[in-house]
Amino acid sequence: MTAGSENQHWDIFCAVVDNYGDIGVTWRLARQLAHEYQLSINLWVDDLHSFSHILPQLNPANPVQCFHGVEIRQWNTPLDIPFSPGRVIIEAFACDLPTNVLERLIEQHQSAGEKPPLWLNLEYLSAETWVDGCHALPSLQTSGLKKFFYFPGFTSKTGGLICEKELSSQRERWQSNPNHKMALFEQLGLSGIEQDDMLISIFSYETPALEALCELWQSSPQKIHALLPLGRALNSLSRWLPCTVEDLVSGQKIVHKNLTLHILPMTDQQDFDRLLWSCDVNIVRGEDSFLRAQWAAKPMIWHIYPQEDDYHLIKLEAFMQVYCDNLAPEITKIWSKLNLAFNIDDKKMVNTYWQKLNSVNKPLLKHAQEWPIHALNDADLASRLVQFVKNS
Amino acid sequence: MKTAHEIRPGNVIMLNGSPWVVQKTETTRSGRNAAIVKLKLKNVLIDSSTESTFKGEDKLEDIILERLECTYSYFADPMFVFMDSEYNQYDVEADNLGDAAAYIVDGMEDVCHVTFYEGKAISVELPITIAREVTYTEPSARGDTSGKVMKPATVSGGATLSVADFVKTGDMIEIDTRTNEFKKRV
Repeated sequence: MTAGSENQHWDIFCAVVDNYGDIGVTWRLARQLAHEYQLSINLWVDDLHSFSHILPQLNPANPVQCFHGVEIRQWNTPLDIPFSPGRVIIEAFACDLPTNVLERLIEQHQSAGEKPPLWLNLEYLSAETWVDGCHALPSLQTSGLKKFFYFPGFTSKTGGLICEKELSSQRERWQSNPNHKMALFEQLGLSGIEQDDMLISIFSYETPALEALCELWQSSPQKIHALLPLGRALNSLSRWLPCTVEDLVSGQKIVHKNLTLHILPMTDQQDFDRLLWSCDVNIVRGEDSFLRAQWAAKPMIWHIYPQEDDYHLIKLEAFMQVYCDNLAPEITKIWSKLNLAFNIDDKKMVNTYWQKLNSVNKPLLKHAQEWPIHALNDADLASRLVQFVKNS
Repeated sequence: MKTAHEIRPGNVIMLNGSPWVVQKTETTRSGRNAAIVKLKLKNVLIDSSTESTFKGEDKLEDIILERLECTYSYFADPMFVFMDSEYNQYDVEADNLGDAAAYIVDGMEDVCHVTFYEGKAISVELPITIAREVTYTEPSARGDTSGKVMKPATVSGGATLSVADFVKTGDMIEIDTRTNEFKKRV
């Protein structure tokens, strides 16, 4: 597996379902594989416009372009850019591969002199125990091809978690100097923030829990700044806004007593990480920001993607159990109840447990700082993935 | 063709030119409501086993082999003996029953489907719904009557599953054998 080797490249296919989640994860992985393992990566994306929000240099009209060592290709249906199989093919989050790609793999499988690429389905992150038993299992296809399910996860039996090798040291350097966050806020066009003010980033879905928190925050003795990008969370705060969500502009400030809502501009992934590193609490959602908030080593609330029959609450509970494994029972209770309340839209409960959070802030912060090492289990996803490919 | 989600223990599916009997199914949910189905499979031809994972909507070629309606008769270690309506007896290896073995009890009257491959009984499919007695479960912890709070229980035959909190030891319950899920108290 060397860079540039014609038939040793990896293809990653990503169908964008929401705006930033799937592409956020696959873009980070593609970049890390190219940068840290010098792999030749083709990232096929069906929605370059959404992608351009987190990679502003990307031109959605350009079907093939290269950034950070990754060749980004427009995935149209039918695929209109020639596809040549390499060493590995990854379908991100169980997206269906294009028909002509599948046909090519079958051709290779049926041809005596050719070997199809290692075919992986990169699945969603979950802390549920069943993941251990499903990770890396083959999926025998009726065509005779074999695909492997690759599950990210929190134990050594899973595929690990996406985390760049230098991330921890970069974050520590950033957090060691408070001037860094002040410079970032200036760069993002945010004003009126003092160094000792409390900072909360909000990248959640819609929930009435946000209103309950704003009620509390505006009466806080400490100045609180809630930083929100234009997006779904703001739909829950229409009562707190001077105009419609559509009319908000980045950099806008809305003051309610001791609470200031700041409208954030879209940032690339690096600045998003820095934003999380700079805040005291991060409210995040889905998978990519959820994981990045863990690497920020700050207390967080996870707004999990809602599923039918409230199945997401099982996934939330599984994560809370893993996260709180070494945490004192009283802190576990407060943090878990707050997360649960946020996810079941229980305003009263959110109110109660946010106030209790103050009493455990320091040990919770210490836990958040220790968590990344524990969560990584000695190896991140990219390194485990590369090893898996080597062993296959 | 069936989707992986529809596959049940006892089904026989064709993969890479070989027939595989499904011994166990486990369905879980991935992100965005997508189902993931893990199958324990036994190759009918070479007597080897494997585990395989599928997306819930993956199409699998289930093959129709000779099937007979039978009832369970008795256990002659290591064989479970089933009998058809004409009193012919068929031996099925315990291993080939997969998860169904934990629902086999003496005197059961459930009509099962025994599947044959080249004259050999290779799997048994239970009815979709069966009733079994709860042989052990903890007393209700919270007095919940909604059926939403669940707790573990063991039923006659030895299977364990989650049941509603109000279920007591000695109760008869209905079970969905496709998912091993508690349906209701009967």
